[in-house]
Amino acid sequence: MHKHRRRAACLALLIAALAALALSASAQAKLTGEFTKFAQCPYKNEKALKCVYSVTESGEVVLGSKKVPIEKPVTLQGAYGTPVEEKEEAEFYPFIAATNGITLSKAPQNVPGGLLGIIPEASQPALVKALIKFFFENSLTGVNSTLELAKAASDIRVSENNLAGEIGTALQMPVKVHLENPFLGKNCFVGSSSSPITWKLTTGTTKPPAPNTPITGSGGEGELLESAKILKLNNNKLVDNAWSAPKAAGCGGIISFLVDPIINAQLGTTTAGHNTAILKGTLYQASAFTVNKNDVEHP
Amino acid sequence: MRRKATTLGAAFAALAVTCAMFATTASAAPAWKFEGKSLEGTEVILGAAIDSSLTIPGLTTKCANFLYKVTIKNEAGTGKGEVTEVPLYNCTTDQPEVCTVSSIAAEKLPWPAKLATVSTSNYIVIEGIKVAIKYAGIECALGGITVNVTGTAGGIVDNATETATFNSTTFGATKTELKALATKIQWTGIFPTEAFQWHREQALSVS
Repeated sequence: MHKHRRRAACLALLIAALAALALSASAQAKLTGEFTKFAQCPYKNEKALKCVYSVTESGEVVLGSKKVPIEKPVTLQGAYGTPVEEKEEAEFYPFIAATNGITLSKAPQNVPGGLLGIIPEASQPALVKALIKFFFENSLTGVNSTLELAKAASDIRVSENNLAGEIGTALQMPVKVHLENPFLGKNCFVGSSSSPITWKLTTGTTKPPAPNTPITGSGGEGELLESAKILKLNNNKLVDNAWSAPKAAGCGGIISFLVDPIINAQLGTTTAGHNTAILKGTLYQASAFTVNKNDVEHP
Repeated sequence: MRRKATTLGAAFAALAVTCAMFATTASAAPAWKFEGKSLEGTEVILGAAIDSSLTIPGLTTKCANFLYKVTIKNEAGTGKGEVTEVPLYNCTTDQPEVCTVSSIAAEKLPWPAKLATVSTSNYIVIEGIKVAIKYAGIECALGGITVNVTGTAGGIVDNATETATFNSTTFGATKTELKALATKIQWTGIFPTEAFQWHREQALSVS
């Protein structure tokens, strides 16, 4: 009798556990097909108009005399709402942060030459290149540069017509560059929330001050997926080489007053005309309504 | 006497070269003709596309009423022209439940046109094309975006049916292309070439 009661209790617990699992699964988004890209889009937010998922797969960021190739993918995701302002004859939409809080993913990129900025000549033998990389780009002397949002996601602006039309600013983004190395401490940044680097990225042609010269981006090759509900822009290229950057600050912890000038000397001039951002990748866009509908239809 | 013969020979040679040059020009640059005679002055072609569609990968747009007005003329024996009006009405997509066409308009008219011969076939090449399409639909990925179709289009002229046909083969032959969203798009269409001014109901040919 006692054994029988215990078995019944176990069975009840098992049913309850299964029911809880089923409930939690139904509460999760079950986007299908290409819609899974928008898993972190705030599509249930009634202010969200379109979901965006953009992966920068290559390109480079030139900050003064330092050129950092983008080797690890950087994702910009979230949504944008109804237009808030109109300038350059285009409507600009405010961004809404990704639901997981990672609107701009943090992907540390290796700074060639590391802390000392020693880069092998292209003509040098492979062994010399490998040795220089080993000594100056290791965990102690190597430097990583991570792009981070300097302000809230709501400060990002998007113009979908400029993006598709290859004119004017397509994506305006306040960013800061986090320089990471055991000697630089945790707070070595170029740019801050009060003094951000403002990228005005275009798929058209830039008009930078000298010594930079105009460079041209590309809207990419458009393709419509999921019965014209998702726009995919392959080989999208966003560029800006007219931005300025403040001096590096907070490097070296309590001895930043000593280290900051060294880092700034390494970076060289970072005023407008000396910096470049080239972001190449793939961009997906769909209406928040249709992403939500896909979710609701697949509980 | 010998000197005279040499001069005569040179003159014949020059004439032969000139004739050959003219012959080459005539085959490379066809002219507009009505009832077999070269058009003098200008003429207006008015028409409606028999069938026309424009495809961005994943979405095809068709207009039930695709009208056009082209002014044609011959310049130094070569057929030229200008597309002056392209009213487009009743346009739909192949995903009507997702994307509708809220507006479509030809821009930067007139578009210059010229006749050209490629491998014995005659073509009309239209340059400076710009069509702005605005799609709508709460689920449409292009909703609210103005899609600009730009570029050059080459269509083959068929004298027997008095039509100009545009498709991927004619675009390839004339090395022309139309782009939208930085992507090469497909445009197909059959356009009757019928005169509506001085040469009404006269057979229009290109040769």
